[in-house]
Amino acid sequence: MTIAPKGDAAIAKPTAGAIREFEARGHGAFVETLDDNRMVINMGPVHPSTHGVLRLLLELDGETVHRCEPIIGYLHTGMEKECEDQNWRGAVTIVTRMDYLSPFFNEQAYSLAVEALLGIEVPPRGKYIRTLIAELNRLSSHLVWFGTQGLDMGAMSAMFYGFRERELILDFYEMVTGLRMNNGYFIPGGVWEDLPDDWEGPLRTIVALMPGRIDEYEELLTENPIFLERTRGVGVLTNEAAIALGAAGPVARASGVDWDLRRDMPYEAYGDVEFDVPVDTDGDVYARYVVRMAEMRESVKIIEQLMAAMPDGDHKNMDPKLMPPPRGEMAKSMEAVIHHFKLMTQGYTVPPGEAYAAVESPRGELGAYVVSDGGSSPYRVHVRDPSFVNLQSLGPIAIDGLIADLIACIASVDPIMGGVDR
Amino acid sequence: MPVTTVAAGEWLERARALKEEGWWLMDLCGLDALQLGHENRFQVVCQLLHSERKERQTVHVDATGEPPSLPSVIEVWPTVDFMEREAYDMFGITFEGHPNLTRILMPDEWEGHPLRKDYGVGKVAIEFIAQPYVQIDSPLQSPKPREAGVRTDVLGQTAKADPPAEEVTS
Repeated sequence: MTIAPKGDAAIAKPTAGAIREFEARGHGAFVETLDDNRMVINMGPVHPSTHGVLRLLLELDGETVHRCEPIIGYLHTGMEKECEDQNWRGAVTIVTRMDYLSPFFNEQAYSLAVEALLGIEVPPRGKYIRTLIAELNRLSSHLVWFGTQGLDMGAMSAMFYGFRERELILDFYEMVTGLRMNNGYFIPGGVWEDLPDDWEGPLRTIVALMPGRIDEYEELLTENPIFLERTRGVGVLTNEAAIALGAAGPVARASGVDWDLRRDMPYEAYGDVEFDVPVDTDGDVYARYVVRMAEMRESVKIIEQLMAAMPDGDHKNMDPKLMPPPRGEMAKSMEAVIHHFKLMTQGYTVPPGEAYAAVESPRGELGAYVVSDGGSSPYRVHVRDPSFVNLQSLGPIAIDGLIADLIACIASVDPIMGGVDR
Repeated sequence: MPVTTVAAGEWLERARALKEEGWWLMDLCGLDALQLGHENRFQVVCQLLHSERKERQTVHVDATGEPPSLPSVIEVWPTVDFMEREAYDMFGITFEGHPNLTRILMPDEWEGHPLRKDYGVGKVAIEFIAQPYVQIDSPLQSPKPREAGVRTDVLGQTAKADPPAEEVTS
């Protein structure tokens, strides 16, 4: 298969904003014909294939996309500002709502940053639980991607299959954290609750089931001639473009950027597990599909290893200045009551400073930049969301493609608008 | 993680040198140091990553002037396009040389820059001032204060003349 090189022109030229004058001219919201028969079309923000409230302004020549400018902000709710009003523990419940398909990664990045500021350690069991839940989350997030990618290509059953297995994983979250989404389970210092006593059974079911189910998905799409026709050589992102545009995660790895934070800069328990990092060099929609499918298999492997090696002990750092005391202790100890009162009203303070912590989310590097002024609430929380950055590569990869292929490109970049707009 | 501070004037040159060394820019965000006691109020914080050395570093760039400004590094790292627009939108930091420095998350006609520390949450300051008591005539509003000798029903309407006034004690 040959790939026509896009050249650096597509990278170096950012969204120039000229297309935005379209709005200023006030020709209605949908379509405008330019002098040389090119057409400006508005796609979204309410469109079934844009995965949320993504709006694209497209300049078309017939069916060919000449320019594609993502316009975002329709889901902006000022979460970074809201974090400044919460205490350090409470901000977890805000950041978890950013990228709503991978909530645990948001919590993990934020918690790691706050832990770096506090200078505390998470006990081994806490680290293992976090890693385990995070890998499950990667699985459930990729399952949604699989479903929507299939759906956008016309394979509706992919959606049913993907969501069927995701449900099992969400049930496990519910069992462990009490919630299916937006869990607020990882906190600075560990995880809020230990795993329930019978956690291994449901997880064993998932681990035993998934490889076979992934085979099923592959039977459905991997060699499906229609799927191949619509994905191979479509939406190509070259290696240089991927690096220049800061693409991360599967999008970059499908373009030959061999970089995975879990392997290259291990955090939590990733140093103790063995797994491969799937890399492809084609850079097209199909390569991103292949990389994500392989990642799902690797996640299952990681989960198996973590289950076998789950250490005993505390699930969180039991420093009484950080964690509320166990309920039973409060009936016996005055000190515990005081600690509980202080933590529940004011919360703990964090030494002044700044920290940046990054984790490998299903979409790439998810970083949290946290600044403390020494008070009991964050001074500034910024989340580097991978969807936000990856969305910039949508313009270059859509250029010179067909408008129908653009739909495949959006699904393969897998942007989550909650994370993009924050 | 090493942290360095760069003046706005040196930033572009420094960025080019860092790019030559092989640093990737992973994140760029604004910071309003109003309550941190820094000399310079507005800063831009860049997180850099070196994939071969497996190292990270943080670079603070001071944005000086009014409005606070610094050169854009979009020609060095094209990935900063959205990030610089976000910093402009949220903090009002202008990036000289950015081809499309418009609001990205807030609506175009929005006033103010929400992540600044002096930008109130809810935008309008809420003040609790004692308001003079206003009598509302609608029967569905709260009942009127009782006058001596006048009986009112639950809707605040004056009851019929019956019963006589002297029976009302409360």
